[in-house]
Amino acid sequence: MPANTTYLAHHFESLEKQTYAARLGMWLFLATEVLLFTALFAGYGVYRYLYPEAFREASRGLETWIGFVNTLVLVTSSFTVAMGLERATRGDGRGTRLLFGLSILLALAFLGLKAVEYTHHFHAGELPGRYYASDAVQGPGGPIFFALYFLITGLHAIHVVIGMTVLAVIGWRAGRGAYAAEYHVPVELGALYWHLVDLIWIFVFPLIYLV
Amino acid sequence: MAAHGNASTVEHHGAPHHSHVSRYVAVWIVLLVLTVSTWALAKVHLPGPLHVLVALAIAIAKGALVALFFMHLYDQQGANRLVFVTSLVFVALLVGLTLSDYATRYPLSKPPGSEGALPAPDYAPPPTSRTH
Repeated sequence: MPANTTYLAHHFESLEKQTYAARLGMWLFLATEVLLFTALFAGYGVYRYLYPEAFREASRGLETWIGFVNTLVLVTSSFTVAMGLERATRGDGRGTRLLFGLSILLALAFLGLKAVEYTHHFHAGELPGRYYASDAVQGPGGPIFFALYFLITGLHAIHVVIGMTVLAVIGWRAGRGAYAAEYHVPVELGALYWHLVDLIWIFVFPLIYLV
Repeated sequence: MAAHGNASTVEHHGAPHHSHVSRYVAVWIVLLVLTVSTWALAKVHLPGPLHVLVALAIAIAKGALVALFFMHLYDQQGANRLVFVTSLVFVALLVGLTLSDYATRYPLSKPPGSEGALPAPDYAPPPTSRTH
């Protein structure tokens, strides 16, 4: 396969092994990401167990429709990223660029809705810890809920921004023909990262907004 | 470009391409339907912990769809699956052990104001909280 030799790093025997190694490395990284968020979810579980009433009330005060629409937006962006990868497997770099660009627009919509939500919390005094100044929830549960709320959604939002950056760089490179049908590992790994961001939100949405 | 007959070594998609597109579309639609149903079910009154269980069951179903089909664990080799499943085992350990620890503590060790804690008369809300 002479076309493949340009993509093959000298320390790999074959492009196949290189691809497997890259994929496995990405999955190891994603596993650490899962555990990073799990620590916060465990904290959420503990405090929800300790302050069930306060958590229920605070959760009820959230704009559920924003969380709902954001879930639809993020799931759709995951779909467009998957379609972008599909274009890459056919060697259509411009198609990948278009679909990744669409995903970035959806991610911007997600962040915009998140900003609306945060603004509302700032005005209502629903802030973490000792900055909590809302009448809505009595006792120590309210401040703790919003501490976890901002930690979990904030960390997720940071991941959205990183994911958008990754999609932008890879999509731009794909549009310039940097990858081929025979080799599109960066497109695949970038897509994996974005799906993980989606995957985490799939659990954030019911935990924070619904239950 | 990559014809179907070309058994390219990096090609991880065993199935022909057109079926992949339809698979993505199907998964996307199912994800949308599940999102709408979890939202609708949250408004229905369900007894006790059933609410949490239904919401988590739907979330797990959606997560599985994303991991298997968008993230291609369905058609990839064992090592990647093993890494992901191992991380899920540690998720279960971390959440399960931490929660069972808190669930089995005696009342004195629970923080003031929490469910099942002894009444704490000296508990004062944070200074920036309401004034009365």
